[in-house]
Amino acid sequence: MPRPKPDLDGLRAQIAALERRPVLADGAALVSQGRQGEENDLLGLLKAPPGLLHEVFADEHRQSGTALGFTLGLARALLTQNRQALIYLQLSAEAQEIGLPYGIGFSRFGLTPDTLVIGRIGTVPELLWALEESLACRAVAGVVVDLASHPKALDFTASRRISMRAAAAGTSAFLIRYGTGREASAARLRWHVKPGVSAGQPFDASAPGNPRFAIEIEKLRLGQARQTEQHHLIVDWTENGFVSVDPLKRPLAPLRRPAAPSRPQPAALGDRLSQAS
Amino acid sequence: MLWEKIKGGMRIAALDHAASLAGLSIGQNISDARALVPGLLVLEHDADFTAHVFSEFADWHSNASPIVAVHDTMAPYGDLILDITGVAHLFGGEERMLSTLIGRLRAIGYSTEGAIADTVGAAWAFAHFDPGRIVPEAELEASLAHLPVNALRLSEAQVGGLNQMGLKTIGQLAGRDRKALQARFGATLILRLDQALGGIEERVTPRIPIAEYHAERRFAEPIGYLDDVLMTVRDLAIQLGVRLGTQALGAQSFHLFLYRVDHKVMTLSVNAGRATRDPGHIAQLFVNRSERLEGEYDAGFGIDMIRLAAGSLSPTQDVQVGAFEIDDGAEDLARLYDRMTSRLGPLAVVRSKPVDTHIPERAVKLEPVVARTTDDPNALLDPPLRPLRLLPSPEPVEVIAEVPHGPPLRMIWRRVSYRVLKASGPERIEAEWWRTGKRLAILTPPVFGEAEIAPQDHPDPAKKPVRAEPPAQHVSTLESFDPETTVRDYYVVEDESGRRFWVFRVGLYGAASPPRWYLHGFFA
Repeated sequence: MPRPKPDLDGLRAQIAALERRPVLADGAALVSQGRQGEENDLLGLLKAPPGLLHEVFADEHRQSGTALGFTLGLARALLTQNRQALIYLQLSAEAQEIGLPYGIGFSRFGLTPDTLVIGRIGTVPELLWALEESLACRAVAGVVVDLASHPKALDFTASRRISMRAAAAGTSAFLIRYGTGREASAARLRWHVKPGVSAGQPFDASAPGNPRFAIEIEKLRLGQARQTEQHHLIVDWTENGFVSVDPLKRPLAPLRRPAAPSRPQPAALGDRLSQAS
Repeated sequence: MLWEKIKGGMRIAALDHAASLAGLSIGQNISDARALVPGLLVLEHDADFTAHVFSEFADWHSNASPIVAVHDTMAPYGDLILDITGVAHLFGGEERMLSTLIGRLRAIGYSTEGAIADTVGAAWAFAHFDPGRIVPEAELEASLAHLPVNALRLSEAQVGGLNQMGLKTIGQLAGRDRKALQARFGATLILRLDQALGGIEERVTPRIPIAEYHAERRFAEPIGYLDDVLMTVRDLAIQLGVRLGTQALGAQSFHLFLYRVDHKVMTLSVNAGRATRDPGHIAQLFVNRSERLEGEYDAGFGIDMIRLAAGSLSPTQDVQVGAFEIDDGAEDLARLYDRMTSRLGPLAVVRSKPVDTHIPERAVKLEPVVARTTDDPNALLDPPLRPLRLLPSPEPVEVIAEVPHGPPLRMIWRRVSYRVLKASGPERIEAEWWRTGKRLAILTPPVFGEAEIAPQDHPDPAKKPVRAEPPAQHVSTLESFDPETTVRDYYVVEDESGRRFWVFRVGLYGAASPPRWYLHGFFA
């Protein structure tokens, strides 16, 4: 009687446990998360499972809008019925350099101004404390940390700590960093995001259209099940989330798309006339 | 002996008993006094400092009675009022209370006098002119009648005038025609007289808000370490939590009073986002708050009493989360905000509150999450296209643009040049004319017209971290009202590498002053 074929991944994990070191908390969480049937390309990775530490790199401070937009797009996928809050942490001294998140602008990313709670913090140790506290809260879907500087306190050990915390609580952490240097970190995913020249509005090609991101995945440590060959991708943020675009196929004519479904008119506006008569 | 400058001369402002025995008097010239008493110790009198020290000293007396006030009618220091209604029995009667309070001050070298009476005015009069008395209500008028008119807290001119008329005691005033007295000596005379006799109620403003629920612990030996204090806070929080629990109440603000042996009180306040009585949570808030203290904690010679008081009470029911209920985690979130606020400061953890206006920096108000108010339902209707980030204060850019309403073609921002490929606009935003006096001004940092983040260590818990309407701040060049300069035209521009900015122009081409351009935000 032939013995049932053992699960290769399971065996590998066992060997790793025997040979090298005990499986760390965040590693163990990942094995169970390698679900079947998920798209294994880069677009699928934009809906990464919760409980991971991401790094989002932008080249310069003036691309802070791009970095935040991309991060909100990632974090938005993590909102569930039980986890309704996103927390954004920033050093208060850096607000003028990279700008403060602006509540009304969130609506384009499907978030109400209320969803994102902003922490304006004085020092880096306090910021790390706030990050760990927020990660531990089970009602928080994701924590976005925006750091324009490169503080010494945020070293490999600190990022390892954050990664373990994130895995333990099932809350994702997003570190937005700037510059071209890469420090050692325990992040599971490292994104490099650049703005892309947008496609223009359907009826006005000279006006800026939907936000476009040129993304590159520089680091991917999600286990064997989630490897991908594709490293570069250009995506647009639309009403339906991230949509992949082919940069070579530039539409010359205005895009033909079905008319956008009309938004429900607010009741207060509709009622006003009828009551006036 | 203390001196201060009066009418250009250095004159004696206060002196102790020994100095007055030596023949000195208040108002005397300093050089004369030195001539009379060669070895005189002379110090300058700093009224503000004295008032400050005295108010701390007054706070310390709240270990005797919850309502303590500094009597500032005559001077901002020197007179202390305690409302001892319902307190005296704790000391074994009014007499023993008075002697205890006076005695403990005399024991450490203060010369103090006191009296107990039914009105603030009468108590002041007896304490100054017939000290040590305890006057029951029935004898109040008769006892007051013997005191000189000075005892009514009058100005020097009034006292002088009364003495000139031969009216030396309060009793002589009582039968007089009130209107005539008022005409001659002013309304304050009548007011003070009525206050002393109880005809008019005189309000006392307590320095420390009265807490209905508190727990306290006295120590036989003073303690000093912050850790000991925090451990005691944990115990007190358990006591307080039980007391609140029996009444089904929860509290939102908690105040900790540390009474030092050297007659000072340290206060520490924390606020919770939602009413709570969970001892662990309360204690944790104080632990977080104390980490923000750093050098401010100074136990002096030790702390001999700690009181934990609860404020802003509201009914709170114990909720049991059932096995089949969905716990949405709202309470966890509220606790997280509490912890962060208590450690990082009330203005550090904020949410965006939409406001019904189309002026960008005013359209979102940053509001502390622990003191949230209801949203304006009109504010969220149909939000226009807005950037994802806003600069706290717009930064000037140099722009080459088509006249008169073209979008920028090139711009220089932070010394880097950008070539604009795509642009849309203008979106014109004008000053809200219905706000008189508030023009479309460029606000100075830190933003959205909000107060800056400062650690709010003010002990007064009445000052909640709620933000007021942002003050109207103007850039100096925007002072005068000119319809052409109060207009902003906003453009969304995208440069050749895809960076999207929000820039605006103040003023119009062809106006008296050339328009200026600013960068206000970043799009994704």
